Amino acid sequence: MNCGEARLLLGAEPHASTAQLEEHLKGCPSCQRLREEMRALDADIRRALEQPPLIPAVRAARPSTAWRPWALAASVLLALTAVLAVWVVRPSATLAHEVVAHVQAEPDSWLAKEHVGAGDISGALKGAGVALNVSSDRIMYAQSCWFRGHYVPHLVVQTDKGPATVLLLRHEHVPMRRSFHEDGMSGVLVPLGSGSIAVLTRGSGDAGAIAHQMQQQVHWLPQAS
Amino acid sequence: MRIIAALAMRNSPPESPVSSIRERLPAPDTRSPVGQLFESLRPDLLRFAQWLARDRALAEDIVQESLLRAWRSREALKDLSAARAWLLTIVRREHARLYERKRLELVPLDEVVDSRAGAPLEEPGSELFTLRQAIMRLPIEYREPLLLQVLGGFSTEEIARELALTPTAVLTRLFRARNKLRVMCGSPAVPDAPDGEVLS
Repeated sequence: MNCGEARLLLGAEPHASTAQLEEHLKGCPSCQRLREEMRALDADIRRALEQPPLIPAVRAARPSTAWRPWALAASVLLALTAVLAVWVVRPSATLAHEVVAHVQAEPDSWLAKEHVGAGDISGALKGAGVALNVSSDRIMYAQSCWFRGHYVPHLVVQTDKGPATVLLLRHEHVPMRRSFHEDGMSGVLVPLGSGSIAVLTRGSGDAGAIAHQMQQQVHWLPQAS
Repeated sequence: MRIIAALAMRNSPPESPVSSIRERLPAPDTRSPVGQLFESLRPDLLRFAQWLARDRALAEDIVQESLLRAWRSREALKDLSAARAWLLTIVRREHARLYERKRLELVPLDEVVDSRAGAPLEEPGSELFTLRQAIMRLPIEYREPLLLQVLGGFSTEEIARELALTPTAVLTRLFRARNKLRVMCGSPAVPDAPDGEVLS
């Protein structure tokens, strides 16, 4: 067992104990130290989870029972409108939808108030085979996210019109630029070489303009797998 | 070894939204031993659902629906000592099902942090408070296996089966979950584990 394998096991299962791990730890003080740190963290996590999270007791948007029939009628109307909208807009059904779903799964990504450090940006790009030519003080969120079988950089870039989410999809080819609208978000998928870039904005953000900029600022590195 | 019964619902036809399911499922008989057992586990299920959904009302809905489903499928529970794990898997799937249908109303985390009335567990700035916030901010793909492991007591192999991942992928996600928590709590990141995550 090498240090990488030991770190993986200690981070995933801090109380794991296998013959190979114990043998490695005998001669590796840094992994031994990591085990102690991970066990301490694990104890804290258990304490943290002993209580429910601090969350609002009532959802503000939750309709009262008396309004539910009206809400249902409104929902039907909205659904019909949505069908018409879908027919008109014709979003890239699968990829665009998955991009939206992914961003919705990380709601806190929109909320960052401070730009992330160069190390975090580098971490998000690491292994994705991406070079990025963007001023780091505009990037408010940077994660390496599992998306369609690959880790992809998920960035939130601050613009004059608010934050814009950018997913750099090296492995997703789109033949042409496609705009879409879903769940209050406007997005665009643009091709970049053999991959693509997805940009999502809320409100008045101009996803198309940001995507155009990103096409100039993102480069796929040849050595990435 | 914990027995996690395969749920019939996995292969059942597409189901209706929650509200209509509730109307057509029989309510658990809380006078029966199984019904009482299920009810005794409700607080654990609710806590698990709240950490998953990050929304108290939604978590209550999920647990209620899960208990109704569990009651309907109670014949599949062969070993009552495995009831907690079995119910947790139902809650997880119910959350995933709602999540996929995009029924989640997103909770602004700023609101979450500010909403401390009635639960003054620790002071803002304390290590535990920071860690609880960090767990809330973990992306679902990391939070879910961590909750299954820590709250559910599931092994890596059991989590892999539940999430349809390889055990290596689960190890990677658990490693990254703790690594992200370390960083969010101010500790240096551990060098990333070897990439081995492959969805199965």
